[in-house]
Amino acid sequence: MHILQQSEQDVYALASALTDAKKQVGLCRECYHLSAEPICDICRNPQRDSTTVCVVEDSRDVIALEKTREYRGKYHVLGGVISPMDGIGPEQLNIQPLIRRVSQGGVKEVILAIGPSVEGETTTMYVGQLLKPFTKVTRIAFGLPIGGELEYADEITLAKALEGRRELD
Amino acid sequence: MYLKQLHLQQFRNYRQQQVEFVAPKTILVGNNAQGKTNLLEAVALLSTLRSNRASSDRDLIYNDADTAQITGTVDRIAGTSELSIFLRSSGRRTVTLNSERCRRQLDFLGTLNLVQFSSLDLDLVRGAPENRRRWLDGLLIQLEPVYAYIWRQYNQVLRQRNALLRQIKKAAARGKPIAPPGTLAVLDVQLATLGVRVVRRRWRALRRLVPLAQHWHSEISGRAERLQIDYTPNLQGADEETIDRDPEAMRQGFLAQIQLKAEIERYQGTSLVGPHRDEVMLTIDNTPVRQYGSQGQQRTLVLALKLSELELIEDVVGEPPLLLLDDVLAELDPDRQNQLLAAIEDRFQTLVTATHLGAFDDRWRRSSQILQVNAGAICE
Repeated sequence: MHILQQSEQDVYALASALTDAKKQVGLCRECYHLSAEPICDICRNPQRDSTTVCVVEDSRDVIALEKTREYRGKYHVLGGVISPMDGIGPEQLNIQPLIRRVSQGGVKEVILAIGPSVEGETTTMYVGQLLKPFTKVTRIAFGLPIGGELEYADEITLAKALEGRRELD
Repeated sequence: MYLKQLHLQQFRNYRQQQVEFVAPKTILVGNNAQGKTNLLEAVALLSTLRSNRASSDRDLIYNDADTAQITGTVDRIAGTSELSIFLRSSGRRTVTLNSERCRRQLDFLGTLNLVQFSSLDLDLVRGAPENRRRWLDGLLIQLEPVYAYIWRQYNQVLRQRNALLRQIKKAAARGKPIAPPGTLAVLDVQLATLGVRVVRRRWRALRRLVPLAQHWHSEISGRAERLQIDYTPNLQGADEETIDRDPEAMRQGFLAQIQLKAEIERYQGTSLVGPHRDEVMLTIDNTPVRQYGSQGQQRTLVLALKLSELELIEDVVGEPPLLLLDDVLAELDPDRQNQLLAAIEDRFQTLVTATHLGAFDDRWRRSSQILQVNAGAICE
């Protein structure tokens, strides 16, 4: 309805923007993030630290992490998580390219930032085992939301937060 | 705890129904298929979010409607809570506690506790092990709601692992066997980690339940018989002390057994080790009740188990839970009826269904609120 009320010109502009996006946006050859160029902005940026690679499930996670402006390293997008029920094995994901990328050396740390679902956990453990021979592998901590009081946290979140504890610096 | 009010909208055969509970005991009387069990089912959903009768939420919604709603008001020591469940034919549910939407089931569970006892519960004693596991899991969710999460995760890993084993089996059948992929090794670890958590909690619940059940059983059977309840996890060499002291050793044992069964599992295409195959053995005077118990013995035992469930929940939660009796009173002889009555007194709010009031002892009738159920409508 909204679109029908617009001028013909605006609708054409919107339609061509959408088809252009579909035509032009592909995946970065390096990290598999959405990109209009063969290599994405993040991978091309010399300011970014290429010794750290953060592994995520899909491009939405890259966008979320970028919003924090905290992370200065690079990414690797797996394109999903391992789920035999849905016919998704490691072969269907961008895991081999990640191993190749890391085994070439130069990567000092891989951060696994995949959600804590059963399938996310399977994927984290699987990828972690393959990468360990080449570099230091860490995973993001799951824990208490900022502004959350300890006594109101449920035991699952608390247990996860305990698991991810670290030494006070 | 006390359920004060129940409101049903488009739930099962109820269009719109408000019920006020004004006595510790409520008897719902009516012919078959009028909606007595549906009402108890609605109350049970508020407690556990599970139905023993419906295969999908579609079944819970009035004929042509798309949504249904159950709302209950519960008094507890800490205050009054309003629980609400919106059901949609699409299967998506929304649950609210005091009008606030719960993001996770965990935040909703544990507000209303109850014990259900229906004529189907004889299967608990004479049926397949699955019945006893479901019973134990349902009890555990009430004792520690976090169990609902652990149990769901275990089942999800199990489904994923079985899917993978089926793929391996199919590949072998096509004459192109695939080497067990690394994914399987990861799923083994996940299954063992979660499986040990399930077993540990089942043990913990039974440890507290067994003495209570033995006590009730000897009361009801007149101390003549000796009840024994043995939890036998599908995990060789598992014992209660090790699992508490050293869960890691248990987990290693779990993994070792998966290794032993690896070939058969790949051949059969399904997971053979783990708590999804646990059993709870019930024996009376060293005789397995499942095979040898008489009908009378089986009924006595179910009653003892239910009474111990009531007592255990009261112990752990700190307040007496509700008791839902669906069509069972008529099956109990006057002696057992009286024992049940004496045990619950007015401490446990009780909802009972029956086809006619004749089945009830005078004492029951006098102290109860009586509601007539007729074609999806309830009146005093």
